[in-house]
Amino acid sequence: MQKNTTTPSIIEMQNVGIRYGQGPEILSDIKLSLKKGSFHFLTGKSGAGKTSLLSMMYLAQKPSRGVVSVFGKNVNFTNRDSLSMLRRRIGVVFQDFRLLDHLSAFDNVALPLRVCGMDEREVKKRVTELLQWVELDKHILATPATLSGGEKQRIAIARAVINRPDLLLADEPTGNVDNDIAPKLMKLFVELNKLGTTVVIATHSEKLIADFAYPCLHLQNRNLRILYPSSSLRNAGGSHEQ
Amino acid sequence: MSNKNLISRKQELPLKDDSSSLFLQVMICIAVFLFAVTLAGVLSINSMLVTWNESILGSLTVQIMPVNDANVQKAQKGTLEHQQKALEVLQSLPEVESVTPLTDKQLQKLIQPWLGDGVDLKNLPIPRILDVKLKADAEPDFAKLAEKLAEASPLATLDNHKLWLNKLIKFADGLKMLALTVLVLVIAVTSGAITYSTRTSLGLHQYIIEILHTLGAKDAYIAQQYAKHIGMLGFVGGIIGIMLAVPTIFMISRLSEQIEGGIISEARLSIGDWLEILSLPAFAAVIAMVTAYYTVKRTLEKMM
Repeated sequence: MQKNTTTPSIIEMQNVGIRYGQGPEILSDIKLSLKKGSFHFLTGKSGAGKTSLLSMMYLAQKPSRGVVSVFGKNVNFTNRDSLSMLRRRIGVVFQDFRLLDHLSAFDNVALPLRVCGMDEREVKKRVTELLQWVELDKHILATPATLSGGEKQRIAIARAVINRPDLLLADEPTGNVDNDIAPKLMKLFVELNKLGTTVVIATHSEKLIADFAYPCLHLQNRNLRILYPSSSLRNAGGSHEQ
Repeated sequence: MSNKNLISRKQELPLKDDSSSLFLQVMICIAVFLFAVTLAGVLSINSMLVTWNESILGSLTVQIMPVNDANVQKAQKGTLEHQQKALEVLQSLPEVESVTPLTDKQLQKLIQPWLGDGVDLKNLPIPRILDVKLKADAEPDFAKLAEKLAEASPLATLDNHKLWLNKLIKFADGLKMLALTVLVLVIAVTSGAITYSTRTSLGLHQYIIEILHTLGAKDAYIAQQYAKHIGMLGFVGGIIGIMLAVPTIFMISRLSEQIEGGIISEARLSIGDWLEILSLPAFAAVIAMVTAYYTVKRTLEKMM
């Protein structure tokens, strides 16, 4: 078990449980501390609660019990506007992309900047640059319906990182992209992590986990365990108490 | 032309495509039409009251009851003597500007609706009437004036029109209350429709709203998009409503003018009244914006 006492926690969970309605708990007694600048994979079988855990991290859901703190704020006692300000520091890549179908690739990527009220000239500059970087500059005006799965995924990733988030959460971010694009996207995540962004990537890909030796937050039987690859303990910034 | 030049910002919430938009616009159009016609009615009643007040303030009517005598000529003569006494008393008062006895022709016109044309007043015990004009700043004591008149002629009675005016004011106030109730109901029904339509739209666009929230949009950001869209619907609907209401008001006004000598024909709308009526689309837009904004804020507060 490893604890970093000097680096501030980006996410803290204490005895957290989640249930839907009167059903059984999906997650029980989760204790977790993600340190600033850490990189983790989130693993577990389908239905293990990965999406529920991620949704608590990006503040779409409050715990049924226990305490969740994000950027040092207890979400149970944070007002709606402050929660929005916290969300602006989080980038999320959804497994199903969650792009807005009536908007162009440009407008989809520009969303996080526009909700912050950024000047439109700066928005154009940043979005155009990033779309060039993910090789979608030729599809700048295309709507998601006309793009392939991989292209949609790159737009979703561009939208998540455009705001240079402090915390990046991604649900199967390389699941739909071509083999030659996947390493490039992973390189983007690693670069962001080196710049100080805390990264959590939910994945089923054993290859990805093997290629990038970062610790895994593993969900099993409603509980969370942390698995450290023997070769990459130095990268671990998270701690987990069970 | 490069793609960069083609970029134009599109609204995140596709509210223009909502089927309820047209319904809301028609609803606001009807509401503004009803509001404008009713408001025109209220303003006309107000102007009528002012006209009546102005014409009645500063005037009195003195009625001389006919002398009761079997000899018609003697009775006529006696009545005219009483009229002369009352006239002299009135002319001696400093508050009085002028006293004019109504001529036989004027009296004939007054009784014409009941007795028809060509009535010979000499054969009838008809009261005589004095039309009294007061000086502009005069504030006479009506009780003392009535006493003086009674001393000069026991057949003279004073009418300062207050009873008649009070009845009219009561009637006009009743109409105004009715009109105001209609206006309040129109605002309430329109606000209710906007609230319902906004909530329906929020349910329809829940998916987009959740994404916007995830990206850090505050409730106010979403509420502003609704307020802008529904405010514009209100303004355009209001303009159409006013375009329909103005000819209707003119038509009603023209019809009322045809009521010869009637009370309603005295109703006139001033330039200020017209400005009030023409400002209704802006008023509708503001109501629509505020209702939509707070409906969105309240509804979103129930979500995480």
